[in-house]
Amino acid sequence: MKFRSKMTDVGCLNHFTRVVNTIAKLNKTCILRLTPDNLYFVLSGKVANGGVSMWCELLQVNFFDEYQIEGVSPDANEICLEVAPDNLSRALKTAQTAKSVKIKLTKKHCPCLTIAAELPSLSSVSRVVTHDIPVEVIPRRLWHDFKEPTMPDFDVSIYLPPLKTMKNVVDRMKNLSNYLVIEANLSGEMNLKIETDLVSVTTHFKDLGNPPWGDDASQSKSQSRDLEAMAYTRVDIRKLQQFLAGQQVNPSKAMCNIVHKRIVHLILLHEDVSLQYFIPAVA
Amino acid sequence: MPLSTQSQQEDQQYVLVATLDNVRNLSNILKAITFKDHAIFNATQNGLKVTVEDSKCLQANAFIQADIFQEFVIKEDSVGFQVNLTVLLDCLTIFGGSTVPGVTTALRMCYSGYGFPLTLFLEEGGVVTVCKINTQEPEEPIDFDFCSTNVTNKVILQSDSLREAFSELDMTSEILQITMSPSEPFFRLSTFGNSGNAHYDYPKDSDMMELFQCTKTQTNRYKMSLLKPSTKALALSCKVSVRTDSRGFLSLQYLVRNDDGQICFVEYYCSPDEEVNDE
Amino acid sequence: MDYVATGGNVKVLAKAIHSLSRIGDELYFEHQDDGLALRTVNSSRSAFASFFLSPLFFQRFHTCPGHTFRCKMPVKSVQSVFKSLSSLEKTVEKCRIEWKPERSQLTFTLHCKHGLLKTHNLSFQDCESLQAVFDKEGCPNVLRAQPRLLVDTVLNFPPSLEEVTVSVSGDRMWLKNHVEDKTDQFKAMMTELCLSSEEFDHFSVSLQTSITFCLKELRGLLVFAESTGLPISVFFDDPGRPVVLSVSDSVLEANFVLATLSEDAHQNNNNNSKRASPPTPADDFMCDDMDSYLIAMETSEIAGASSQKEPQPSSSHGPPMPNHRVFLDSVMEEQQQERDEEEDLERPPNKKFRSLFFGSVSPTPSQVANQTTHSQDVLASDSEDEG
Repeated sequence: MKFRSKMTDVGCLNHFTRVVNTIAKLNKTCILRLTPDNLYFVLSGKVANGGVSMWCELLQVNFFDEYQIEGVSPDANEICLEVAPDNLSRALKTAQTAKSVKIKLTKKHCPCLTIAAELPSLSSVSRVVTHDIPVEVIPRRLWHDFKEPTMPDFDVSIYLPPLKTMKNVVDRMKNLSNYLVIEANLSGEMNLKIETDLVSVTTHFKDLGNPPWGDDASQSKSQSRDLEAMAYTRVDIRKLQQFLAGQQVNPSKAMCNIVHKRIVHLILLHEDVSLQYFIPAVA
Repeated sequence: MPLSTQSQQEDQQYVLVATLDNVRNLSNILKAITFKDHAIFNATQNGLKVTVEDSKCLQANAFIQADIFQEFVIKEDSVGFQVNLTVLLDCLTIFGGSTVPGVTTALRMCYSGYGFPLTLFLEEGGVVTVCKINTQEPEEPIDFDFCSTNVTNKVILQSDSLREAFSELDMTSEILQITMSPSEPFFRLSTFGNSGNAHYDYPKDSDMMELFQCTKTQTNRYKMSLLKPSTKALALSCKVSVRTDSRGFLSLQYLVRNDDGQICFVEYYCSPDEEVNDE
Repeated sequence: MDYVATGGNVKVLAKAIHSLSRIGDELYFEHQDDGLALRTVNSSRSAFASFFLSPLFFQRFHTCPGHTFRCKMPVKSVQSVFKSLSSLEKTVEKCRIEWKPERSQLTFTLHCKHGLLKTHNLSFQDCESLQAVFDKEGCPNVLRAQPRLLVDTVLNFPPSLEEVTVSVSGDRMWLKNHVEDKTDQFKAMMTELCLSSEEFDHFSVSLQTSITFCLKELRGLLVFAESTGLPISVFFDDPGRPVVLSVSDSVLEANFVLATLSEDAHQNNNNNSKRASPPTPADDFMCDDMDSYLIAMETSEIAGASSQKEPQPSSSHGPPMPNHRVFLDSVMEEQQQERDEEEDLERPPNKKFRSLFFGSVSPTPSQVANQTTHSQDVLASDSEDEG
């Protein structure tokens, strides 16, 4: 089981850092799954995570100049690690001016993901900073917990408004309430609502558009739906706020799928990164 | 604009309708008096007066004249209600209170009368937020009976100079002592804290002093905890008028210029601390 | 006593006080014929910091002959005089410090723009002289660097990190975070940074060594050095002997004396003590095969994986007790020492450090007279756990 990689492009490094920062905002620990083509940051919907789950997928070739992996075995050429993304984020922060950054799996006092950055210096010799981030190697028999989640059979799928606007609104609503109702229909309308003893607030977004999911057979519910009818889910407002606060990646597409009274499924797509986030309904 | 297309019929039911192209012209000035949740609103033909009080010793008033609003329609001589100011401010800044030029939030504020909620329609970039804030019957604000004919001493300072002093005040001092005098030290702020005492002296001929009218030496003490909230108003204002009357009551009037260059006022009244013992 | 500082020197004075405030709670003022000393010591007595301002630093440096001016006061009080450093630079033209022994007060008067006058009357306490014994010249290792280099270096470590280990060879310096508790090593991110001697203004190492000290005080001095742009010199010796960080120009000198972990503590915690040249990070793909970990896990199930996190049997008697030592010296009477000792006992044990006197050498009268070497209170503090 071996892994090592190298990044030399500043743009790639910045982009990778932003992705990691986004993940770091979402949870204290997550699973990093490495395969020959992809890197995945995964959070399974355990109760400890507030039922939230996440799936973030990166195409390695878009980030790394060198990328070598030797997985657990030839038939399972993968490595699965538990890591604190905040450590990764802090390590990468010190590497922003680096000429090159190496990320590799090492055997130190414990298994570590080692990030070695070659920094510019005042002399002819580079400064080298290395960060050893303790990781836990996940044995193969537990991998099934960290598989790609299946697309839920949603009632409504809608494009999200600018995330900045949504973040501002949700931030204020969080001051007023612990729960938020997110509702949308197939006519491009989405509402965010809160209601307390003191105040009720509804923000109306319209003309958002509904993504075409084609003939995806699994999406049976939305096929025969009244276009004006709202599907809604009530969620813990902090979970939505966390997702919006962490957004450092400017997605080319941002979507939201709602399974009525069940789940909110948020999807961000960037050319080489995709992030899915699942927030369960609360009663 | 969506807000102006609100049906005219709907307006019939309201006793008060006020619209603003830039909600910051209201939210900023309300921030200057946010130190307690309960705010008493009183609207008349002249505009809106919002009052916040603390322990019968401190009163803050914000005045937003009718002509600050693009539309200000009131169907009674006086309309009064009480709302939670913190909630109101969260609603007014629902879109983040952007300071980016060209990006403003428009507001339409409506009230149907006793027992009805205060309804806000806010719009920014085509997105509309509707807020309904529960209202209560207004309490009667305290009359501090601060009359300009009884003013003993008055100075007008540029806010910058007082801002610095207030940011440095020794908060371990329970009181702030203000001395105003026709002779030295003219205008002095003093604190008596754990580590010793401090005096800030402003000479009467300083360029920061726009007006100096002191007739009699007066030294009064005010509770620091009561005066602290006024720093918010100080931070927003460009000038401040400090007055004391014969009873030692303090009036602080702040002149605040909004984004559009219009002028509003915020006023704080504070009663003196009773236990005056000479240093 | 009456001192007046003007212009940029007011800011230098303010920065010095802010920097001292990061070390100790009390600020000691002492007037000497050749300048004004501002000193402090931390509560566990493992760090001492002093600024010495020469008469030329001041526009006025007036003394009354026959008076000894020496006092202490909470450093927070003095800091409050110079509360906002940014406005200080723009508005303060002159700072006057007057000693008023009859009222036990030190008066700071700031003369500001537009005629604004700020007067702070701060109460002081009488005190003995506070000094530390250290010998910079005798140190085998001397490094000097621009503050920027050290600021950039420290930025690589998390702000919460308390201690750092510095190792040197003939042409390299390594910094590494020090984690005391073995079990924490499995959780904490370990950072190591390597600097070439070429990045230093001066790099003279006669003793290849490795020392561990608190970052907090270094950060404190960096605040000052960065604002004044003065290079920082680092003097050090074997582990266990204090490290001295020093900044000076023609009118001022600052010395921060910090305890370092003693060697035995080191060997238990880091096996890099005295290493001639720390091993370069293994860069071989083959070296970093994780299979052994996985095998361990798959065979012994969960228990096997978790047992790795338990402390090694060798350290089952608790983590080793590293000794922080600093040689603090006071021109104090024996009884003063005893009083301090009592204070130390009464003081609730510091979260991390606890001071202990473990020896004292009585000065010969001549030593006291010439006032260069003093009775030596050898203080040590040991840290018990990570807290």
